Amino acid sequence: MAEEIIRVLYLDDEEPNLFSFKAAFRREFEVHTCDEPHKAVRLLDEHNFHVVLSDQRMPRISGVEFFELIMPDHPDVSRILVTGYADTDAVVDAINKGQVYRFVSKPWNEEELRGVIRSGYDLNRSRVRNAEQGTEVLALLEGLGAQLGGCADELEGGGAAAAGAVAEKLREMKVQLAGEHARYERWIQRSSN
Amino acid sequence: MRCCPPYGRVHLRRWVWALLALPLLTGCGNTGGQAVDALTLEAFEDPTSMVRPEQVHLKVASLERLKGERPNLGSSESAHWIRVSGWQGAPRNVRILLDNPTLDSIDAFVLDGPRVLKTASAGAAYGRQEDLIPTFNLPVNEDHALWFRVRSTKPVLLPFVLTQTDKAEMLRERRDLAVALYTGMVLAILIYNCFLAFSTGQRAYFSYTFVVLTVGLVQWGFNGYDRLLWGSSPWMAVNGLTVMGACSGLAALTFARHFLEVRRYTPKWNRLIRVLLGIYWAALLAALAGLPIVAYNLVNLGALSAPAMLVLSIVSWRRGHPSAPWYFVAWLIFLIAVTMQALRDFGLLASTPITATFMPIGTVLEMLLLSFALGNRINVLKRSSDQANAKALAASLENERIVKEQNAELEARVRERTDELAKANAGLSGALEELKGAQDQLIQTEKLASLGQMTAGIAHELNNPINYVQSNATSLRRDLEELIEIIEAHAAALSSLAEGAPGAEEMVGRARERARQLDLNFLVEESRQLIKGILEGADRTARIVGGLRVFGRMDGDQLVEASLAELLEASITVLGNRARSKANIEVTFDEEAPPLWCQSGKLSQVFMNIIMNAVQATETRWPESEDRKVDVQLNGVSAQAGEFTALEVRIRDNGTGMDDLTRQRIFDPFYTTKDVGMGTGLGLSIVKGILDDHGADVTVESTPDVGTCFVLTFPLAAENAAASKVA
Repeated sequence: MAEEIIRVLYLDDEEPNLFSFKAAFRREFEVHTCDEPHKAVRLLDEHNFHVVLSDQRMPRISGVEFFELIMPDHPDVSRILVTGYADTDAVVDAINKGQVYRFVSKPWNEEELRGVIRSGYDLNRSRVRNAEQGTEVLALLEGLGAQLGGCADELEGGGAAAAGAVAEKLREMKVQLAGEHARYERWIQRSSN
Repeated sequence: MRCCPPYGRVHLRRWVWALLALPLLTGCGNTGGQAVDALTLEAFEDPTSMVRPEQVHLKVASLERLKGERPNLGSSESAHWIRVSGWQGAPRNVRILLDNPTLDSIDAFVLDGPRVLKTASAGAAYGRQEDLIPTFNLPVNEDHALWFRVRSTKPVLLPFVLTQTDKAEMLRERRDLAVALYTGMVLAILIYNCFLAFSTGQRAYFSYTFVVLTVGLVQWGFNGYDRLLWGSSPWMAVNGLTVMGACSGLAALTFARHFLEVRRYTPKWNRLIRVLLGIYWAALLAALAGLPIVAYNLVNLGALSAPAMLVLSIVSWRRGHPSAPWYFVAWLIFLIAVTMQALRDFGLLASTPITATFMPIGTVLEMLLLSFALGNRINVLKRSSDQANAKALAASLENERIVKEQNAELEARVRERTDELAKANAGLSGALEELKGAQDQLIQTEKLASLGQMTAGIAHELNNPINYVQSNATSLRRDLEELIEIIEAHAAALSSLAEGAPGAEEMVGRARERARQLDLNFLVEESRQLIKGILEGADRTARIVGGLRVFGRMDGDQLVEASLAELLEASITVLGNRARSKANIEVTFDEEAPPLWCQSGKLSQVFMNIIMNAVQATETRWPESEDRKVDVQLNGVSAQAGEFTALEVRIRDNGTGMDDLTRQRIFDPFYTTKDVGMGTGLGLSIVKGILDDHGADVTVESTPDVGTCFVLTFPLAAENAAASKVA
């Protein structure tokens, strides 16, 4: 389904790495690179990135710290840590806490990294969709609640004559709900695949 | 009482027979002469000694008849004039004899009214031996009066007798013999006791020898023999007997004190003895002061000590003094003798040869008994000391046994303790070994920690360039393929054009289209960039590896000539981002600084350690990494231009700093301010060890909240010496 182009941000303090990354992945993805964490934060706000990669060892701030920093504002973006040497404890901790989706070591294997980026994108998509669906369900429930309130009012004011009209409305609502139900069932099925 | 003339001789024999051991007759009173009452003695006292012989006939009226055979006029300063009558009709060879050698002076006068017809003198004051028993010739004319003037501070005893000349001689000889015998006896006792005194060292013996000596001398004095000792000294003539008496009293009392052990048995009597001793000393003083009569009477008063000592001996006896009975008997005998003598002197006892012997016999008996008593006492002492010795021996044997037991016990205990100590020692050795092991392990851990630090740094530093070399190569290949595709498309189009083949124009258009699609210009630029990246990566990899070569082996001991600047740079490189990403590390190197012979791997360990500490100190103090500063300097130290004597490395940070207490301890092993598990506390102690090996001096300046500066000074001379040593 994903016809949309995957937007990727790569943060590293070493420029040659940034260039290599861009050269490697510019054909498949929309690649943005950055060598300063604060610039990266600005880019994140400007573009709706699906995946963010960061080097672990940088001056002033580590990759994990950077992810920690951006998490509140960009919870859905998939965060991938790239590092030349594993500070195992820090990385394990970061993964367990959910700050990091994947860990990739330098020198990277291009194919592997491509796969990781793609799965990161998928994760991001499903997260976004989940959020959208949740919003939809909430709106639906809100609409149904409003309709039920209207029916109650009608019954109170109209007496026996109104009962037929209310019954008609409730039947319509049932049909509507059945339709929504089928839609969500399909979605859940798709999600679990 | 009448005394038969042959009496003495008979008695002498009897004494010899009866008292074989005591032939001590002094013959005192054994005059062997005519009965005294044949003579009539009349006397008057001349208290001032002013009466001259010429005046005596005028004093006839004051004459008093003297009674008894031994008239006693007492002692006084007075002169006594005695008219002796009743001698008339005596045979020609009869002379008058006054047997009292203690009289100071005797002057005989034959008077015819106021006329002095004849004089003769005798007495102690005259000091002549022949006067020991003074004899005087009877006046030729029986009408003449015979007068004697007697002066004596001692009792004026006047045993006048008539005797035949040869009998007087015999008497003298007998007296000499008796005194000699007595003296021999006394001397024997004296020498014997003297010998005992020196051999036993007993005080009682010493005082006893004085008793014997003085008693003997007193007896000599009684018989007038004392004047043999001091000749004609008038003072001694008058005072000799008194002095002897006082001395004998002193000796006797001292002896009693020693012998009866007064302090031990009868301490209260000691005071009495002191009083009595005082009396005798007073007598001696009085004699010296020219008061002979006072002295004599004091000595007589001192005689109270005799009964006193008797009572004392009884008391001692009752209190259990073992030798007191001996003393009692001896003293009793002496006292009896003295009493007899006194009774005799006062005419209460007949003056017979027997009574005359009482005193010397008494004294000799006393001396002998006291000798025996002393012997007994010594035996008693010896017995008790034997017993004491036996007891002491038993006690010491017992002690020895106990000591042996204790020794055995002590030895056992010592052995036990020694074993325990040996065990403890073994345990301690084990513990020490373990500690050494632990220390080695810690040092190894520290080494591994810095090795790990290095590895992490190196890995990161190397992986980055490797990453982009590798990645760029892949990208470059792809770009190259696309470029080749474009080139081939163009080539094919060109050849079609050249051949004029149909659709050539189309082919050219397609090729152009492809080039546009693939963004040829971008591809070319990208390829250039990729190649540039590859070259850069290769170069950086080479640089890092070069830095590693500078390090040499981490624990290598070889000395190499290395540039400290390179070592510092390599250290910082190897620490890599770990340090550089955390703080601003500024490096200033004196380019003229010469290389140093050193163990490069170990020195880089030193630099890494100190730089890392500096970075961590700044991290703790500053939240923003922009504020954290570490300054690394290398300076050549030169005494004069162009000649370096040392190299100085300064590593300064603006971190937390340390207080003095911490600063003083940083090189102590296991001292760490880091949390448990964060540091071994060995880093800087190893650093110190390495610096010491290099003869380098390290000073640390630090102020809390300002920063710390490590100054390492490497002497070049020493290093050169080390180098030559290696060479």
